[in-house]
Amino acid sequence: MLGYVISRFRNAIILLVLASMLCFGLVVSAPGNVAVLIAELRTPGATFAQIEEIEEELGLNDPLPLRYWHWLSGVPDGDFGISYKTGEEVGAAMARRLTVTATLLGGAAAFACLLSLALGFLGALRPHGVVDGLTRVGALLGASTPQFFLGAMLIYGFALKLGWFPTFGDDDGLRSYILPWITLGMLPGCVLSRLVRVGLEEEMTRPFALTARAKGLPRNAILFRDAMPNVAPAWLTAFGAQCTAMTVGSVVVEPLFAWPGVGAMFLQGVQFRDFMVVQAGLLIFISFFILLNLAVDIVVMLLDPKLRRQGGR
Amino acid sequence: MTALQKLRAALAGFPRLALWIIAGFLFLGLFGPWLVPHDPLKQNLLAAGQGPGLTHLLGTDHLGRDTFSRLIAAANTSLVGITLVLGIALVIGIGLGTLAGYLRGWAEESIMRVTDVGLAMPSLIIALAMIGIFGTGYWNMVIALALAWWPSFCRVSRGVAVGVMNKPHIEALRVMGASPARIFFIHLLPTTTGSVLVYATADAGGLALSIATLSFLGLGIQPPTPEWGQMLVDSLPYLEGDPRQVILPGLALTLVVVAFNFLGESIALNRVPRPLGRRILARRRAEAAAWDTPPAGLVTGEKA
Repeated sequence: MLGYVISRFRNAIILLVLASMLCFGLVVSAPGNVAVLIAELRTPGATFAQIEEIEEELGLNDPLPLRYWHWLSGVPDGDFGISYKTGEEVGAAMARRLTVTATLLGGAAAFACLLSLALGFLGALRPHGVVDGLTRVGALLGASTPQFFLGAMLIYGFALKLGWFPTFGDDDGLRSYILPWITLGMLPGCVLSRLVRVGLEEEMTRPFALTARAKGLPRNAILFRDAMPNVAPAWLTAFGAQCTAMTVGSVVVEPLFAWPGVGAMFLQGVQFRDFMVVQAGLLIFISFFILLNLAVDIVVMLLDPKLRRQGGR
Repeated sequence: MTALQKLRAALAGFPRLALWIIAGFLFLGLFGPWLVPHDPLKQNLLAAGQGPGLTHLLGTDHLGRDTFSRLIAAANTSLVGITLVLGIALVIGIGLGTLAGYLRGWAEESIMRVTDVGLAMPSLIIALAMIGIFGTGYWNMVIALALAWWPSFCRVSRGVAVGVMNKPHIEALRVMGASPARIFFIHLLPTTTGSVLVYATADAGGLALSIATLSFLGLGIQPPTPEWGQMLVDSLPYLEGDPRQVILPGLALTLVVVAFNFLGESIALNRVPRPLGRRILARRRAEAAAWDTPPAGLVTGEKA
């Protein structure tokens, strides 16, 4: 078991190092001279000498491994460099926006979790019934609707026509959170609901379910008490994957609802080709994905007695 | 005729509606430019924001462009984009994956490690970052998406290649003196390509969505070229007064994505054996009972 955990950690660290190289490599391979951009930012119409000075200051003339090391050693302190566009420190700006994104992701994850369990159980209560068919079609639609389209429709219906929620912003408390949460959580919730539904049906065809039924337990009791724990590990693994998908979704949903989060900042960085912001955003996102997957793997192992005994694969 | 029957038999296991939608999408995508009733790019501010009518079947947008024509032209944009991205990603993914499965050893290890990094993060984030570094533009979008998409193809084709390489007929070929190039190109590559192509079909929906999302964010297809995501973001400021211009491209896109996802789900279900449900079991029993003498091998059909 410990060996499994250690091998997972080792894999995660290798992935993190490779990912950081990717982030660094992307910016290094960018066309154009960074020093020129910064010189223009500081003093419009910079001279050649000034540009050279900045090149020296940024260490652009150092060999690549050294530059990589300089960049990487600054990362733990939150030193991601300075935005070419606004001139502010990228690390500090990202940190300020982290709570906004955390609010969005947390709420959306909770919504997705509830939705998937509700739809999945609703379908599994009466397999191949009318309700099951409806939830199936609903889940398929929800899993295929583009987030920006769903968001626009929610804004039109609930904000513009009914006026229940504000159309944008995050400064109106819970009322302003609801629509972004639904927009972001709908897709993962629907994808996961299929998994719950199919998993439950599979469990109910197993011998233990038949035994429990023969002993006189009502079907729903077996569904909730015996079948669900067996679905949980697969559900959790998929939930981790969907959380990464939701993080990507934040890049779409945050600008749509004008939330000042990390996703919106990353998007601005991409739109204005602000390399430092893109680099920092990419590294933060990827580190989050890798750590999340690590956490999910370990929790799944703790949950699943089979994996626990074998000590992993 | 036999070719048609073969095609029909091959498609019989898939959901009919999804196939019709995909067929429609392919048809409009291929022949759209010749089908549009109006020029999708022609602006006419005097006719801006019209409702559905006889001249403009689905009305016009805020610049007076015919929405119906733009929706059809957007199918073409989308289809061309999907084909280009899939083509590039498939060549890279199948090439590297098959190579990894053929070579094994350190070459496989290094290829798969890179693939792991690619798979550890969602494709859209990689594509976004690359567009952020290299700038927006049609080809930048295509290449960014292709580079973000190949790892999944690489993993699938490597799995297939390893399976094929372990089979005895490869051993026999070696003994018979077949050159490595012959084994790779004639015996290995076609097999992996076939398996991955099926897998790629299901990916087309996600790709259509990614292209639309990038265009929605202003990073993919640029105006005035009609594209569903771009049409949607274009009309978003006029959402309150004219929601139709937002709903129609959104619906078109959703329809295509639903169809591809549905197809992908049934491909996955067809390929992975699944415990049978109560109804299917009952139907099989009824079928089996109708036979006078059950054919050998089907007696235990319940467990199949």
